[in-house]
Amino acid sequence: MNLSEVTERISRKLEAKGAQPDRQKIESRLRRLAEEFGVNIDEAERTVTADLAREYNLTGVGNTSTELRPINEIVPGEWVTIEGKIVALTPPISPSIAQTGIIADSSGAMRFVTWARANAPAMEYGHWYRIESAVVDEYKGAPNLKIHSGTTISRMEKDAPLLPSITPIAELKPGVGSVRAKVIQDWEVSHDRMLQTGLLGDETGTIKFVIWKEGGAGSSGTGPAAPEEPLGKDKLDLDAVYNIFYATVDEYNGRLSLALNTAMYITDEGDIEVGRNETEIRGALVHVAPGSGLIKRCPVEGCNRTLSRQNYCPVHEIQPEFRYDLRLKAVLDDGIRARNVLMQRETVEELAGITLEEAVGIAETNPLGMDEIFYRIRNTVLGRYYTCTGSEFGGRLLVNSCTPITFEPEELAALLNRAGGEPA
Amino acid sequence: MKPQSAFEREPARRVFASELRETRYQFKEGEDEKSPTYVLLPSGIRSNRIFIVGTLTEKQRQGDQNIFYRGRVVDPTGTFFIMAGSYQPEAMQQLARIEQPAFVAVVGKPNLYTTQDGNCLVSVRVESIAVVDRDTRDLWVLDTARETLDRLDAFGTTDDSRKAQEEYGTQPDVYRKIVYDALTQVQL
Repeated sequence: MNLSEVTERISRKLEAKGAQPDRQKIESRLRRLAEEFGVNIDEAERTVTADLAREYNLTGVGNTSTELRPINEIVPGEWVTIEGKIVALTPPISPSIAQTGIIADSSGAMRFVTWARANAPAMEYGHWYRIESAVVDEYKGAPNLKIHSGTTISRMEKDAPLLPSITPIAELKPGVGSVRAKVIQDWEVSHDRMLQTGLLGDETGTIKFVIWKEGGAGSSGTGPAAPEEPLGKDKLDLDAVYNIFYATVDEYNGRLSLALNTAMYITDEGDIEVGRNETEIRGALVHVAPGSGLIKRCPVEGCNRTLSRQNYCPVHEIQPEFRYDLRLKAVLDDGIRARNVLMQRETVEELAGITLEEAVGIAETNPLGMDEIFYRIRNTVLGRYYTCTGSEFGGRLLVNSCTPITFEPEELAALLNRAGGEPA
Repeated sequence: MKPQSAFEREPARRVFASELRETRYQFKEGEDEKSPTYVLLPSGIRSNRIFIVGTLTEKQRQGDQNIFYRGRVVDPTGTFFIMAGSYQPEAMQQLARIEQPAFVAVVGKPNLYTTQDGNCLVSVRVESIAVVDRDTRDLWVLDTARETLDRLDAFGTTDDSRKAQEEYGTQPDVYRKIVYDALTQVQL
């Protein structure tokens, strides 16, 4: 280890506490201890850090970051030292990142990022490391460990078995999570890079999952691929139960989803009685909002925004190669509460008795174009009674199924009794 | 107190024509110009919007410069007067297209008018209207019966119903009878 690296690390620690240390002074003190007095570098680092902390009247420098912390107790904003096992490595999304992945200890797991500028040694999948003086911040709502040039990484000769603790789906938070869940829906992939998407459920609720296609060998970081690391993921089988360890929990628009690319999953025996955290509402469809019917979506990967009539995407500008889609934004009203509902293509096709292909055909030949589809759908559903089930978020019910309410003679009889006139 | 940003759409109350016809009391919640206007239904609830299903029996185009349409929608208990003007072009055009007689579902806002001879009239300003089938009409009668009975069951226990008692001297049994009569007209 050379002295300038240590100098850099010490000055960063001090800077993080608001001081402006002189790097030359740090280095000369280190050199004096190391070269004149034969103190080893680690001890020299500790001494200089402590001395300077006193001089700048700082507390909590050095000592807090060398105290070993369990991963699940760490909160964003802390400088920490942890010991953990690399349980996943993922392809870096930017050239300024050397490595990304998940590190776990017996208490929990956390995503980490090693900056390219940190010049840190590459960590290998399946090995334990001690990471000193890393910073934890928040990325996409989840704590994230940042390995920078001031961080010390040392490989440990340890192979303690790690048993991740399973989190009930209803209690998942953004970050890393392990679940035992059943595949209850297998959806059509909406995207070239997607291998599989669908819905997982356990006793407490359901969550969307995604498995992305991987780029094949060498996709997982800069280190040599460890033999036990899977290259490319397998699909999950519908209705099977899995133990899924270290999946990435993402949050988007207040909704969580699981990305399984970081995860290890193995089938489990037994079945799960999936708890549906679904909302059911009944009522009359009293309003069909603009933006319903046939719409055009931005074809850019991962965008999917609705285009204007001029094919303009708010992010990707004019997109003549759009995709058509059907949707219904409406209000379902039971007389007590009016609720927004959003129905997707399959539901709309069934409800309006028109397929996307038919709708596109009509729109392209009818003088009213896409408006014609809006009116047709509106005239079919407006004023009708429906039962909608789905999940509620952001003040809107995302409808999974919608069925027309039918007339029940028993209900008429019950109401006649309740109104209580002379028996009919 | 709800935060301002959490806008909640006013629900569409279910009410029979004979109850709406008795409505006389209109009020505004809050001083703001945009505050919603409510009518107080005799069964004891405020209403800014209603949902009705019945038979459109008559419609007329009126006005020269400001064209509007009037129509009559009949339910088992009486008649609703509906209108759609150029401030609701979609609704007006929709109404213009419908050939009477037809079962229609109407979402609209109830408004009180005083005629020249001093009578009070309730008319419904249409927001949306669509042709529906008989099943939907029957479902609406059941729905409206249930909600009316729910209001009558809670009569005297809510602020709105105490106000209705004060304004109309509502006799819940009269409305129970109306509900019962409406239900007997639904064919099994």
